[in-house]
Parts: sequence; C-alpha cells; structure tokens
Amino acid sequence: MEPRQVEPFGWEVPVGTVEGMRVPGMIFGTPDLLAKAVEDRAVLQVANVATLPGIVKASYAMPDIHWGYGFPIGGVAAMDAEGDGVISPGGVGFDIACGVRLLRSELGWERDAKPLIRELVHALGARVPRGIGTKGRLHLSRGDVRKVLRDGVRFPLSKGIGFEQDAERCEDGGVLASARPEEVSDKALDRGCPQLGSLGAGNHFVELQVVEEVLEPVAANVMGLFVGQVCVMIHSGSRGLGHQVCTDHLKVMDGLMHRSRIEVPDRQLACVPLGHEAAERYLGAMNAAANFARANRHVLADGVREAFETVFERSAWDLGLFLVYDVAHNLAKFEEHVLDGRTRTLCVHRKGATRAFGPGHPELPEVYRSIGQPVLIPGSMGTASYVLVGLASSAERSFSSTCHGAGRAMSRTRAKKVMSGAEVGRSLEEQGITLAPAHLGLLSEEAPYAYKDVAEVVRACEGAGLSRIVARLRPVGVVKG
Amino acid sequence: MSAVTPDAGFELLEHTADLGIRAWGTTAPEAFGQAARALVEVMGIRVDAPGRRRVVKASAQDPAGVLVAFLNELIWFHETESVGFAAIDVIALSDSGLVAEVEAAPLPEAAVGIGVKAATYHQVRVERRPGVGVEVHVFLDV
Repeated sequence: MEPRQVEPFGWEVPVGTVEGMRVPGMIFGTPDLLAKAVEDRAVLQVANVATLPGIVKASYAMPDIHWGYGFPIGGVAAMDAEGDGVISPGGVGFDIACGVRLLRSELGWERDAKPLIRELVHALGARVPRGIGTKGRLHLSRGDVRKVLRDGVRFPLSKGIGFEQDAERCEDGGVLASARPEEVSDKALDRGCPQLGSLGAGNHFVELQVVEEVLEPVAANVMGLFVGQVCVMIHSGSRGLGHQVCTDHLKVMDGLMHRSRIEVPDRQLACVPLGHEAAERYLGAMNAAANFARANRHVLADGVREAFETVFERSAWDLGLFLVYDVAHNLAKFEEHVLDGRTRTLCVHRKGATRAFGPGHPELPEVYRSIGQPVLIPGSMGTASYVLVGLASSAERSFSSTCHGAGRAMSRTRAKKVMSGAEVGRSLEEQGITLAPAHLGLLSEEAPYAYKDVAEVVRACEGAGLSRIVARLRPVGVVKG
Repeated sequence: MSAVTPDAGFELLEHTADLGIRAWGTTAPEAFGQAARALVEVMGIRVDAPGRRRVVKASAQDPAGVLVAFLNELIWFHETESVGFAAIDVIALSDSGLVAEVEAAPLPEAAVGIGVKAATYHQVRVERRPGVGVEVHVFLDV
C-alpha cells in the first residue's frame, strides 16, 4: 500500500499496510523526500513500528527518514505509559543519546578566524580523539565511569572542566536523575573507561561553522547568534558504553519475547511492557548512558576550547565560547502530552529525531522559554547546518519532535564508487573547507552526495509545523571521525 | 581471511545507512566463521602478525541469536583490548551456544575501517540448505 498525501507536507501510511498495525503511519516531508523513503524500504519500517503494543496516534517519521534496522531512522513512536505501552531499545538505537551541541563565540569569521583557519583546524584535530579504537581525553576507572553515569556533565564540572553555565544550557540540565548506573554491565563500563571525550567514527564530527544567515532575529539574539560569527558544532554520542548497554538489554528483551505474547514483524523491535522489570532496568541503564553521552560532548567541548585558547592566545571565556544548547536525537523519554483532550504520560521514542518543545514549555531552561527549544541540525559534511526552534504546534503534530539531520540517501558502498576519499577531500577544500579527517580514505562514505538535501529537510519541518528555522551556518573546517 | 569460494565466503549487502553481511559455508561453524571474518574486514581490524590464541564464547536461545551474540562479543573484545584478529575459528556450535578460538594481536595503529556499533537482530537469519550448506544474514549498525 502506497502512502497517500493527506496534507501539504504529510503522507499517511494506512492501517493494513502490514498486518497488525494499531495506528496509521505519518511521514512528514516533500514529494522528493518521500520518494526516497519509499525507495529504501523505510516506509515499511514506519508501518512495522505501528504494530507495537500501546502505540498512540501514529507511527511518525520526520522528513530525513531513511531505512534503519527495526525502527526507521527519523522515527518517533509514543507509547501509552498508563496503559499497555512498551519500551523498545531498538527505538532508541545503539548510540544512546547521540546528539549535537553548539558552541558560539565572539569571533568574526573574516576578521578573526579566516586568517588562522589552518592552525585552528590543526589544533582541533590534535585535541579531538577520533576514529575507531581511539582513546578519549579522559581515562577513567570503573568507579569514576559510574559517577559519570549518575552525574552526567556534573562529573567533568566537578573536576574543573567546562563552565558552570554549560549544564544549564544542556537538555535536562546535563543529567538525568532517573539514571541507574547499577544496571550498566561491567562489559559496558570497560568500554566506557577509556572513551570519555572521544568523537568516534562514521558521521560524527567537530565542525567549525560561520553563521551565514539569520532568519529569526529574536530567537537568534536570545541564543547569542549573529551573522558572520564563528561557531563550533559537535556531533557524538555515548560511544562503546552506550552501544554495549543497548546490546545487553536488547538481548534480554529478545529472550523474553519468546515467552511473551507480543509478536513483532522485525526481531530488532524486541520490546517489553513499560513497568516490566526488564523495562525498568533498561530505562535506568539507558538514562545512565545518556548521562555518559552528555558528559562525552562536554569533555569534547573542553578540547575545542583548549584549541581556540592555543590559537588565539586568549581564554575561552574571553573568546565567548559558550554553549548554545546540547540535545540528543536518540532517546526515549517520559513526557506529558494531550491526547483526545486528556493529558497523558507517554514514553516517546525518538530514533534519529530531535525533541522540539515549543515556547513556554516548563522543561526548557529559563533563557529559552520565550522562544522555544533550540534544535541543532547538522548538515552533511560540506553543506549547511541549521539552528531551529521548536513550535507549540509540534506537540500536537509529532509529540514535539522534528528532524535530526540531512538523512542518508546512498549506501556507503555506493558512495565510495562515486568518488574516492581523496577526491571528496579535494572538492571540499576547493569549497573553502579545511579538513582534518581521521582517515582520508573514509571521507567518501560521508560525502555530501550520500545525503539528502538538508535545506529541503528543514523547510519540510517548517512547512509541517514541527519547527522554525532560526539560522543557517556554513562549514569552514571539519574534524571528522 | 576473506577467501571466497562457492563453498565458503561472504559478501556485503547494501543498506542506506548501515551494512549487511551474507556469509556461507558447508557447515554452520564455517558460515559463522565467515560472518566473523566479514565483520573484521569491514572494521579494518584484520592483523597479519601472529597473535595470542584466545577463546570467545557466545550464547542465546536460537542459532540466529547466537550469531548476533558472537559478533557482538568480537566487537567488545576488539574495543576493550585494542586488538585486531589474525584468525577466527568456530570450534563448537549448537543451537544455543558457540565457542570460537581467535588469534588476537594489538592493532599497529588506529584501524582504518568502519566503526561498527553492534550486530543487530534486523533480518537476521541462519538457513540450513540440505546438500548445499548453511547461509547466514546479519546487519550491522555502523
């Protein structure tokens, strides 16, 4: 069954597309973006998620949707926490709380940074551990990893790393109190010990960016953004620790599925009812891994500040290298939403989707309550990134969710056949982007042509009433995982 | 490690964001071993130097679950000990468990390959084909 267009930026996947759907699917996008989702089987995954017990309203997909493993990437599913809703680790993914943080500065691109761009990218490259098998900026004991799992960004702050105000501008104040470090296995701890403050591989990066255009001056002003300004975007997650947490708990749930009456169309959708002991244990471990992810990006940001201090010979504070926001795009959270006129507690799974609370939401930091939650959307390597804000209408449209990036359009194998890594590197340098890749040969897998058009994705989000565009940033330097 | 013959071998399957493995062998241990070799190739963690022989064990409630658990054990072993693999031999396999002997050696430098987060249950399958052999499919989150 083909999705049918039901609004200018929305397509419905009807109940019956796969057997057992409890709600329809709803894909936000444009005709071009939808065509890509149909092509790569992601629509079937939207329908598969709609079969999960306790799912309410619809199985949503953001405009950057693409084929995942179980859940589609770009998928949002809200489960009734007061009824028969389930938790599915596959709806969060292996890289728990993978996300983005944005630092702003008082530096102007043309005046301050452009003359020093090579030194700056080199200094960043030297302070951002990246690639597979690399060690992070901090090497911790198991005991200290447990503290990170409990305290999130408060752990590095207690060691004098970062600014106190960093925590205020982080989702959940940088720490989820419901974390249960005791539910994180020794195997996961061992993966986490050497990895705090490491970027990882794949699509993770630290990018130097310049604010190219401001479309919402009031919101940009509140965030401290202005045209010509140098910013730094960091994209990373919970590293091997988070991957192991998902692996461990998914295995438990997979085992329980054989005994439960729940049937799922894809084994990776393994789930248990909320309230089940296995659900509680997973949620505690997932929140602990989320705290690790925030602390990881916090420690990476410390490396960024150190690089700027070295190159500009001024303190990071003096350079105005302050956090704009830090938000995850792989997480499940308990949130209150109005459903059929009644406020209900829902467990909202976001797999490659960003929370986007509108203005006035009580969970937002006071500084952003008037404008809505900042949403940070990295483009593909070499293309623009965007800062958005959540809209009040997104609560009703998508359980306060929007996109998370450009979304892949081409497999890694195909991408490597189009250009070599060296050719991609040369092409980016010709566009004025200075590079520090972990390995030049791997650049082609993350080449811009392997992704969808991020501008079309964010325009679709705006058209669908999910979020509003505040500013566009263009890359000038990339440190790649 | 990547020798491909009609009897045993592996190939990578296209996926928009991730990567799949199809591996085959005349026996199930051989097919599982080929899947492990595919993982090692993808991650760029094959080493040529002779290494220490170690035992890796995995368990689950069915053969496909064992395959996922086995590959995840290798990922964990590589990451926590910073090692690559010179050889991987599945020496015992049942419907609920596996024992493999691996030859592991320190990686000379940061590996040049794709960072694999985990083996997933997405479309995982182990197919026994009488008279032909065994074929397995598994997708990796990269």
